[in-house]
Amino acid sequence: MAEVTEEKMKWGMAIDLDVCTGCNACVTACAMENNIPFTGEDESGYGRGLHWIRIQRYWHGDYPEIKPDYSPMLCQQCGNAPCEPVCPVFAAVHSEEEQINLQVYNRCIGTRYCANNCPYLSRVFNWFDYEIPEPMAYYLNPSVTVRRRGVMEKCTFCVQRIHAGQEQAKAEGRPVQDGDIVPACAQACPTDAIIFGDLSDPQSRVSQMARSQRSFRQLEELGTEPRVIYLKGGGQYGG
Amino acid sequence: MDKVIALTKRPAFRIGVGLVLLVLLAGAGGGLYLTQTPPPQPIQFPHNLHVGIGAQCQYCHPGVAWGPTAGLPSISKCWGCHQQVQKKSPELEKLAAYVSRNEAVPWVPVAIQPDFVHFNHRPHVAAGVACESCHGDISKMTVAEPQPRQNMGWCLDCHKTMAPENFTRLSDCSICHY
Amino acid sequence: MTQKYTRREFIKLSGLTAAAAAVLTGCGPASRYVVRRPYTDMPEYQQTGLSTYFATTCRECPAGCGLIVRTHEGRAIKVEGNPAHPVNRGKVCSRGLTAVQGLYNPDRITGPLQNGSEISWDQAVAQVSEALKADPQGVAFFLGLAPDHLFDLVSELTAALGAPPPVRYGAYGMFDARRTLTEAAKLTFGVPSMPFFDLGESDFILSFGANFLETWVSPLAYARGLSQMRRGKNNARGRLVVIEPRQSVTSGTADLWLAPAPGTEALVAAALANLVAARLGLSLPDDLASVDPKEAAAAAGIAFEKLQEVAAGFASARAPLALPGGSALAHANGLAAARAVLVLNALVKNLGRPGGVFLTPADPAASSFADVQDLVARMNAGKIHTLFIHGVNPVFELPAALGFAAALKKVPQVVSFASFPDETAALSTLVLPDHTLLESWGYQRTLAGADREAYSAAQPVVVPLHNTRAAADVLLSAARQLPTLAAALPYADEVEFLQARLLPLLESRKGFYDAPEILTFWSQWLQYGGWWPQRAGLEAPIVAELYAAAAPLTPPAPLASGELHFYTYPTQLGDGSGANRPWLQETPDPMTTVMWNSWVEIHPETAAKLGIHDDDVVKIVSASGEIEAVAYLYPAIRPDTVAVPFGQGHSALGRYAEGRGANPAALLPLSVNESGDLSFGDTRVSVQPTGQRRPLSRMENRHGVYDHAE
Repeated sequence: MAEVTEEKMKWGMAIDLDVCTGCNACVTACAMENNIPFTGEDESGYGRGLHWIRIQRYWHGDYPEIKPDYSPMLCQQCGNAPCEPVCPVFAAVHSEEEQINLQVYNRCIGTRYCANNCPYLSRVFNWFDYEIPEPMAYYLNPSVTVRRRGVMEKCTFCVQRIHAGQEQAKAEGRPVQDGDIVPACAQACPTDAIIFGDLSDPQSRVSQMARSQRSFRQLEELGTEPRVIYLKGGGQYGG
Repeated sequence: MDKVIALTKRPAFRIGVGLVLLVLLAGAGGGLYLTQTPPPQPIQFPHNLHVGIGAQCQYCHPGVAWGPTAGLPSISKCWGCHQQVQKKSPELEKLAAYVSRNEAVPWVPVAIQPDFVHFNHRPHVAAGVACESCHGDISKMTVAEPQPRQNMGWCLDCHKTMAPENFTRLSDCSICHY
Repeated sequence: MTQKYTRREFIKLSGLTAAAAAVLTGCGPASRYVVRRPYTDMPEYQQTGLSTYFATTCRECPAGCGLIVRTHEGRAIKVEGNPAHPVNRGKVCSRGLTAVQGLYNPDRITGPLQNGSEISWDQAVAQVSEALKADPQGVAFFLGLAPDHLFDLVSELTAALGAPPPVRYGAYGMFDARRTLTEAAKLTFGVPSMPFFDLGESDFILSFGANFLETWVSPLAYARGLSQMRRGKNNARGRLVVIEPRQSVTSGTADLWLAPAPGTEALVAAALANLVAARLGLSLPDDLASVDPKEAAAAAGIAFEKLQEVAAGFASARAPLALPGGSALAHANGLAAARAVLVLNALVKNLGRPGGVFLTPADPAASSFADVQDLVARMNAGKIHTLFIHGVNPVFELPAALGFAAALKKVPQVVSFASFPDETAALSTLVLPDHTLLESWGYQRTLAGADREAYSAAQPVVVPLHNTRAAADVLLSAARQLPTLAAALPYADEVEFLQARLLPLLESRKGFYDAPEILTFWSQWLQYGGWWPQRAGLEAPIVAELYAAAAPLTPPAPLASGELHFYTYPTQLGDGSGANRPWLQETPDPMTTVMWNSWVEIHPETAAKLGIHDDDVVKIVSASGEIEAVAYLYPAIRPDTVAVPFGQGHSALGRYAEGRGANPAALLPLSVNESGDLSFGDTRVSVQPTGQRRPLSRMENRHGVYDHAE
């Protein structure tokens, strides 16, 4: 944390808050792609819901000039992640290759240090084994591990799709192109507010959006180097 | 005045503890042994014979060339050759019975990985890794035998021998665990 | 995705069932049934460990969005959007995404039932056949808004039988007041069409209660339109103004939200028409011109300056567009409101122009609430001996005051085709479960959500999980046993009916693919997920005599003391059928972040006056009934209005839906507007605390509610 080195970047996401309508399609899409169990009314009321992405809604102003401000919040895939150095068993590790934060489920022993150290509150913990009654388990995605009790989990940038896309491109003997790899949230987003791509490629759509005058990062002052870039909404064009 | 013997020094206790330890050790050993023995298969398929007459692995397991799993052959694939081969072994009679009932052979997969490991055959085959590097010398087996110590260190031992510029990728946790 | 999509050439259905480890194949160009085939017949293209993708059509609402469903070894894994489809262009909403939780719902009806006990399909078909033999005037069909192919088949059947045509109604149509909109289109343009609004090319959208980001008509198509409008041509960002009493997702995203008193939307539209006409130097018909904008603004409780600002923006925009939404139309003066909004469009001459209003070819053929009332009257009079119900749950969706449940008891034979044990199926004598949408054949005409005429194809992506049967096949088998019907409906099965219906599309040669005969057409139809022309094109509305008709603009009577306006709206649970999808329940409501329950939105000032706190259980009483639900202090609603979302409060429908929240249909009145649509927006209620508390499950708990940093 102490040394500031040159930021290495790869995968990144840009979220245009001007077209984000807060509809929550990304939340459902993420759950259906990533085998996220539903916890029920009581557990979700305790704050034990396992949403990897959530829409934070803040009110601005007072009636009648009131307006909600939505910001989709997910793991920011920090370049300088506070969750990583606190894990005693190296379950929260940084991927040098993909430049994302990984959670290795089979290493995790559930100390929850990482979640306590995450300024974005984007990590969720499996407090119980949440039952999925038969035959509902049929829709579980075979490309994603089904987690069990006592394991921390979080957004992976749909790493299973990253690998599938890279592997497919390699098998076809071509480089990965912009738009080949789309996480479930961006794929579903009805207004295309979420754009995913390679930040190290200046021509990619996400890099172009990151250079927008409207762009900012969440809690940038903490020096976490988030890979999720937000574009200001509410018609605040031109900075 | 009775002589007080500490509990841990009583012979019965020591024998008891020893027995419990033995049973546990035997259980663990037996469990380990069971994981390393071939599971019972519906047909004692002779891999050695098929490899010996020159059948290529990918003829029956073509999935390795285009996907994550190698796949097990369907009876139509077996029967493609065997309806022209005289059925003189009892194992072939079993196959003929499955075919006549139009029923799938319930093969038991042997080379399996835990749920949190995502293995893909295609890049390994594309990189020129021979089947026997992981699955052992099939030409000396009848039914497929599980290979001992197929753990993460074993994977990494091989990945380490690859080109150094690829090692960052090949040692990335996310390459198998997600 | 693209990669996987193009690879699906001539894909046939296949997979591996978990139980039998058997592969199911079929439904290619030549075969039509999804049959179980053993592992031995593993098709060449099917590879263990690789997913197969199928195009089909969503049926969670009537919009008709195209889906691509990922299947893996015979199981449906994930619903994704069809990138080529003209309605949703590769996007999906929360409802569509959870279709797999409907398919694999543990509470499905697994086989035909008679009075709760299992029967065989042969017995079931014999019973249906028996019913069709009896007096045709006593046979009635009550269908939902989807799927279209079943409506077409039943229409043919009733015509051949001499029975009354099917009644087609549902909560989506009720909340959008669709009949009022088509009536207004008929009055204004001479065609009873559901208009298509080209949001994408517009740069100033004025919505009167159209919650087009959540449920209105075709939410994904219009959400995409909003995105294009916001991103704008040459970076010129368009503006969205929404006029509705309670802030929805749409008005939350808007650049300006104005909250009129419920029922005064017609006055506001007329006032804006006056202001716009004055700016453009045009004249208005007498009934609209007689509205004084200042008085209208006062009646609506909106600052007059705000109306002037909106009118100025609307009149000077490059491509302004006004939308008539359900909450503005579901009042006694709803037809006047719809007409005033269409007149606003005509004033700025956006008809048939990019960013304007277009007519859609498909006649929505939906009934009005008055038609349903007529059906209930016939049921109560004992004139109906057999009632068939498909795709709608009237006992839950319709106002309780209608007495549908009581009327069902007067019908000797009630046949429900429900896939899930809903409230209506519980009161039916015969339950003949249909497949869920991921197991079904069919088509849907897209409803005012595409810039061209489009038919969306539905095909099974997995083998039917239970002993269910397509409603169309049940009706066709029953009809075959009657000589008269057998001649009129010469289809061997559902697929043959679909192919007969698709033949005119093939012969029109207008589609983006061509085929020499129906089987080739059929394989492309399944592969692409439907049929539509290559180029966009819709008819432009013509205003022959804009100012001829005049519906009364009469504003509603003022509130009595202690009375509040009542507002109800559909959420992501849709018409209530989504309540049994656990992930729709656990996806937070966008505005309140509440999960798994109903809530009552009350303005904090009003709550303080009534002595109500957050999470208090309150009782809401209307002239029709009462409900109890938990209060949510909602800062973005008029202080004289309370709102309850629609969709919860099930007494049936399985473990995830039952006994959760309250059904606002209990409070709705039976009054209808001039077009025969339910004017539920005129409901008035009183609210009182019960003294109990019940904390709501909210996402916002953990992260703070108010941000006053700005």
